[in-house]
Amino acid sequence: MSESTFPPDPEAPRPSTPPAGGMDPEPPRPPAYTPGSAQPRLNRPVHERYPQIRPTSGYGDPRIRHTGPGPGAGTEQEPERSSKLSARLALALTVVIGQLWGLTIVVDEWMAGDTGTAWWGTGFLVLSFLVVLGLWAIDPKDR
Amino acid sequence: MSVTDPQPPAPDAPGDAAQEALRDRIAADSLTTRRDYLRIVATVSGGLAVGGVAVASGILHRHGDSEGAPEVKKIADRIERGESLAFRYPGEEDRAIAVRMEDGTLAGYSAVCTHLACAVLWRNDRGSEGELYCPCHEGIFDARTGEVTAGPPPRGLPKVILVEQVDGSVWAIGTARSGESALEGFCRQNGDDRPGCPGFGAGGPGLKATERSERT
Repeated sequence: MSESTFPPDPEAPRPSTPPAGGMDPEPPRPPAYTPGSAQPRLNRPVHERYPQIRPTSGYGDPRIRHTGPGPGAGTEQEPERSSKLSARLALALTVVIGQLWGLTIVVDEWMAGDTGTAWWGTGFLVLSFLVVLGLWAIDPKDR
Repeated sequence: MSVTDPQPPAPDAPGDAAQEALRDRIAADSLTTRRDYLRIVATVSGGLAVGGVAVASGILHRHGDSEGAPEVKKIADRIERGESLAFRYPGEEDRAIAVRMEDGTLAGYSAVCTHLACAVLWRNDRGSEGELYCPCHEGIFDARTGEVTAGPPPRGLPKVILVEQVDGSVWAIGTARSGESALEGFCRQNGDDRPGCPGFGAGGPGLKATERSERT
């Protein structure tokens, strides 16, 4: 098998002949990389080249035109602070549920004529509110 | 990065500001942050505390609450066995019901359910000897004591103290709160120096000695 079996492509670039003189041939440098195509029409945006493709990137919501994480993704830099805020919120919600229960007791006792117990229950409600206020005031600038 | 924009931004197009506002609104990370939720929860908590103070201060109306002792009021010339009578005592806003059971027991109660303030009805056909029935949420009160026997009411009915004279006429002479006996309610409203009350000398003959019948 020899190379003569395959005739050379007449349009293929021919290898440069080494210069005479016995020096090592300098390898040809590749052209500088430039993104895109040499043909400007191929560098147009996708929606210009393929107007039939709806700009939804596959999402059902036509407002979403690009894939990837949404705005704000990757901005969480203090997960401990975030979890503490969640814990504060959970504690406050628990206290408020206890307040709802306490208010039913206050109403029940007052309607039954036990005003003293009703005032004790009111104290419980106020103290619970102070607890929630403290949870809120730990870091008012938190988010 | 996700951009939520219904159309490509056109800087000179009319309504650009509105579009930009919509884009900002949709692209916002979260419209209500946990911080906002915490503030809302704190506000609700404060509201509950204020509500407790208001309740303990007496913002709610209790049956029979009035300045001084309630007046004695004749409510009927006669109440037959198994019948009931709706009346208002001591105030015009205090709805009450008087019941004569089959065995002759006379009882008077507030007609306002302690659950959600629906009207309480006398149902002679229910139970072994009739019962006070709230049709709103199936609350049932014992006709002899006013205590809750079934349903969601949190406490028994306030009582109206009834007395029956020899001629059969029925009079209301006072009220008692839920869980309070008729005597306690009577002494609370009329002072402890009345017969039967703790402060009456060495102990008087009691209400029942001067009245033919009294049931709460």
